[in-house]
Amino acid sequence: MNLNSKNDSTFRIGVDTGGTFTDVAGWVDGAFRSWKLSSTPSAYEKAVLEGARQVSGGEAVQWIHSTTVATNALLERKGAKTALITTAGFRDVLEIGRQNRPDLYALCPQRPLPLIPRERRFEIRERVTSEGKIEVPLDASAFPEILSQIKASGAEAVAVVFLFSFLCPEHEQQVGRWLREEGFRVSLSHEILPEFREYERSSTTVVNAYVQPAMSTYLSVLEARANVENLQGLQIMQSNGGTISPRQAGDGAVNTLLSGPAAGLKGAMKVAEASDLLSNLQLITFDMGGTSTDVSLLDGEIRLSTELQIESFPVGVPMVDVHTVGAGGGSVARMDAGGALQVGPESAGAHPGPAAYGAGGPPTVTDAHVVLGNVRAENFLQGRMTLDEDAARREMESLGGQMGECSAEEAAAGVIRLVNLHMENAIRVISVQRGYDPSSFTLMGFGGAGGLHVFALAEALGIPQVMVPCHPGVLSGLGAAVSPFRRERSHTLMEKWRDLSIDELRTVTDGMREKLAEEMKGAGEISTRLRLDMRYVGQSHELSVPLDEKDLSSAAQQFHALHAQRYGHAEPEMETEVVTLRLQGEGPAPVAELPVLDFRKAGDPVAEIREGEYLRKYLKRGDQVKGPCRIFEDFHTVWLPEGWQVKVDQVGNLLGSRCGGEG
Amino acid sequence: MKKSNKISATELAVLQHLFAAIPEEMGALLGRSAFSSNIKERRDYSCALFNASGDLLAQAAHIPVHLGAMPRSVEAVLTDFPALKPGDVVMLNDPFRGGSHLPDITLVSPMFLPGCAEPSGYAATRAHHADVGGMSPGSLPHSESIFQEGLRLPPVRIQREGNLDEDLMKIFCANSRSPQERKGDLRAQIQSHCLAEKRWRALGERAGGVEGLTEMGEALRAYGARKMQACLDKLPPGRWEQVDFLEGADRVHARTALRATLKVEAGAVEIDFSASDDTVSGSLNAVKAICESAVYYGFLCLLFAEFPGEVLPVNAGTFSRIHCLTRPGSVLDARLPHAVAGGNVETSQRIVDVVLGLLSQALPGRFPAQSQGTMNNVTMGGLSGEGAFSYYETLGGGAGAGEAVQGADAIQVHMTNTLNTPVEAVEYTFPLMVRTYAIRTQSGGAGRQRGGEGMIREWEMRIPVEVTLLSERRECRPSGAGGGGEGKAGAQYRIKTDGCSEPLKAKGSWTFAPGERLRIETPGGGGYGEVGS
Repeated sequence: MNLNSKNDSTFRIGVDTGGTFTDVAGWVDGAFRSWKLSSTPSAYEKAVLEGARQVSGGEAVQWIHSTTVATNALLERKGAKTALITTAGFRDVLEIGRQNRPDLYALCPQRPLPLIPRERRFEIRERVTSEGKIEVPLDASAFPEILSQIKASGAEAVAVVFLFSFLCPEHEQQVGRWLREEGFRVSLSHEILPEFREYERSSTTVVNAYVQPAMSTYLSVLEARANVENLQGLQIMQSNGGTISPRQAGDGAVNTLLSGPAAGLKGAMKVAEASDLLSNLQLITFDMGGTSTDVSLLDGEIRLSTELQIESFPVGVPMVDVHTVGAGGGSVARMDAGGALQVGPESAGAHPGPAAYGAGGPPTVTDAHVVLGNVRAENFLQGRMTLDEDAARREMESLGGQMGECSAEEAAAGVIRLVNLHMENAIRVISVQRGYDPSSFTLMGFGGAGGLHVFALAEALGIPQVMVPCHPGVLSGLGAAVSPFRRERSHTLMEKWRDLSIDELRTVTDGMREKLAEEMKGAGEISTRLRLDMRYVGQSHELSVPLDEKDLSSAAQQFHALHAQRYGHAEPEMETEVVTLRLQGEGPAPVAELPVLDFRKAGDPVAEIREGEYLRKYLKRGDQVKGPCRIFEDFHTVWLPEGWQVKVDQVGNLLGSRCGGEG
Repeated sequence: MKKSNKISATELAVLQHLFAAIPEEMGALLGRSAFSSNIKERRDYSCALFNASGDLLAQAAHIPVHLGAMPRSVEAVLTDFPALKPGDVVMLNDPFRGGSHLPDITLVSPMFLPGCAEPSGYAATRAHHADVGGMSPGSLPHSESIFQEGLRLPPVRIQREGNLDEDLMKIFCANSRSPQERKGDLRAQIQSHCLAEKRWRALGERAGGVEGLTEMGEALRAYGARKMQACLDKLPPGRWEQVDFLEGADRVHARTALRATLKVEAGAVEIDFSASDDTVSGSLNAVKAICESAVYYGFLCLLFAEFPGEVLPVNAGTFSRIHCLTRPGSVLDARLPHAVAGGNVETSQRIVDVVLGLLSQALPGRFPAQSQGTMNNVTMGGLSGEGAFSYYETLGGGAGAGEAVQGADAIQVHMTNTLNTPVEAVEYTFPLMVRTYAIRTQSGGAGRQRGGEGMIREWEMRIPVEVTLLSERRECRPSGAGGGGEGKAGAQYRIKTDGCSEPLKAKGSWTFAPGERLRIETPGGGGYGEVGS
């Protein structure tokens, strides 16, 4: 991580790869630069290196990469052939899951196939109790037979999950050593997720084993070529909003599954921080793409969840708390048998795509925008694609006919209303349902269609302030560039609050700090934070509160307060218990400033190119625009309805508020 | 012209979402803030909204067995308390007065718009409480009278005008083996009613008052009716009969027949269970609400299959042309003082088998083979270090195979969808160790499509533990379809400390000594089609 004498913040770029685009942003010799290009899914490193070169200009830069390699391996089921070794009697835990079915009314309920079929799940005699004592020693004599079967199966990666291993990891460590001696890539559950609940821990460990080889291979290719490009000190973006070394990302690839969304949120935070018109970092973000929309809530900082599922597999490592709904530009609109309009969850996808793509596609949200004049051929994807406006109109007319003598415009407005409703619900889930009042937040919309919906959503949710970020096309790259090095460790305590002593806590945290320091060697000055997952005795979901080692009681007080905020009631007289202790270590945050926009001066081009139509690139700091109007930019349109106005802040964010309010 | 015709296709979809979102949100809150693992880990609860006359407007998809039962609860509450005030919350569990079995505690509260003296709607929650007293821990006893099953609550006000009735709360808690937990669960339930009223008021504001809100409710019911009608219209007119059996439910009769007739006529459906056998001596009697739940479930499955991926309106309109008849005094319409603990959990599964059997005759090829047909209820209790403990679990089994798919293995079927309690959670919380948790191979019925495999779960006791089992399909096996084979019957054993195992009856209570194990093997699902066809 040494970068000679250069201040690493001024030579630091972020590269984010998505399925369609790769975006790069960062600072080279203190100057902010960005670039966007098409991804190269057959060999992602091509676009990644090309983009990085465009921005670095050959200068020696440090770089941070957010990647979908692990995610894609999982989504496309193209991970490694993996085997599992587990406690005798429990090899089916991975398949049984929580024994529930995903669709309540499905006549033939089907679960997704487990990543490891039964014939590659092996049992070995051993047992640790809930007190952390070894009840049955590891049956070493059975291992050679298991090993030969694993070899015969052709598996290249092995997950090892024993019951209560997080209390006593000896057996997992022993089996891990044996397997590594044989050259296998190994994922041990007490290392990947040292927390109770065997299915969630198994699932997380197995996902790691499954995606790890693809990630390691990709990273070694990338690192080898990066040297040639003068790219140094590669760091990988994790799902928790921090970075790790390529080796750590290779071993713990499960920590990168939400690498891209995490980078996007870091980018959103960065541009919001840089705004001179925004007084706090209370943000609700929504990133609307073609098939789905991700929403998230930032309460001064990124919020993490340990209860997310990726592709219906629980993944218990801390990840940015992003809620996804199947609503996007490609969501298909149709009438149902009861006479109601339905939008989504089906998507027209890339082929045939929306009707406006001219390939015979169905009516979609994008087509509704075309009919309403919000998406124009001349501005669409910088003219890289043509738009069949007639096809969009035909489909909307036909839908309007089915809706009962509605015009194409009325049908289109209905489609927009409904897709907004899906997103509104998603935002309620992450705000209202978690005890936050959305009206005290700023709503930030990005992604291909974010600007078209952000104001209508703010209106529906009673949110008074809207932000359309600057650098919208490279927000994720930007976010990666400003992310600090971060590691997390967790430890299951599982005891009554009253039994927890400062001494015991110190022993545990000392051990955790030691391991953390080892993992973060060379990362500069580390700041650490402790959190405690608590619940009332008898509950089974925990709430996470900050822990001050010198003042334990404050954690309990915060727990009661948080319980009241989230669930509407607290029970201070009831006994509490502590479930998981979490330690987070963070390296120094890169210091880098976004370029400041000039105020308008004589001779600057007028931004309003036609009545009610603006080009964003001509907007200057301090400019104000009133709705109704449309603001066009590459890849993106902002629809500003009547009653709203926007003002351009010092870095180019558009800050929206209701007319008559503060502006 | 009906008023609801004024509501556009867009508005209709918006309303469906807005109304459905309320019970969903209530459920999310209840599930996360309740105390017992039963409600939180296993998610054994349901939430619903009703209009001022007690017609269902929206019910979240939580547990199907509560589908028909919730409207009955509201009906009972409205009869006893025609003039509820703001802040009142009524509690009940009486199976003969709107409940289904005693552990299911239902709360019903009126919802008022600001400035209105009359309620404009009702919210209801139903949650399975881990213990409400009675002769064995978990309150699912091997009983012969309702009076052995626990505390029976007719509709009573647990909260009056916003004030919790502490006296009633004391009585309720004192009758449970886990009183603290009861209190926490009930508080969580009440909280989700507060939430419901808040959301209801927002809806009322949007609707511009009671009249608008009523109109919206009407439009939704008409929508539900139209959508279900599209499904019912696929059924050919005709009459079909089906019979299936409960095992060992009665002291005298080895088998108890559930007989039903399906009549499809002019787009309406009637399922008549009147020919079913009389009430039994054991606890497998059901109340009519359970039959209705099973019937509604069958038709919602049909709706789901017909319109995949679409919103399923679950309201009174959806079921308005589906009629369910029972005979008072029969095993499916029990009266006081018969025992009913198992009707909700076991008989309900058999009624579904009968309903799906009828539908598969009307629409050949559309329905799968029989699933495990039981919930395998296990309750355990005893005295551990700090006091009494009470643990309840239901076990998944084999799902029936379909025409084009294999049956799912070790999964919850039909009337329940509760989660398991994780092995590590069991061992942290209770004086038990789990020795095996596995798929029961070779138990699914043979066929072109194999039936789902059952499940094996084995617990070892660390202290003396009282065990109660309530299970079915231990003799009559889940049948195959289209020539497919039967699933294996379930079985259960006591494994003694010397390793010998002793088979146990499907229903009963036993005390296990420390070191002894309980092993349960759940039934497999039926196969579909002849092997090799």
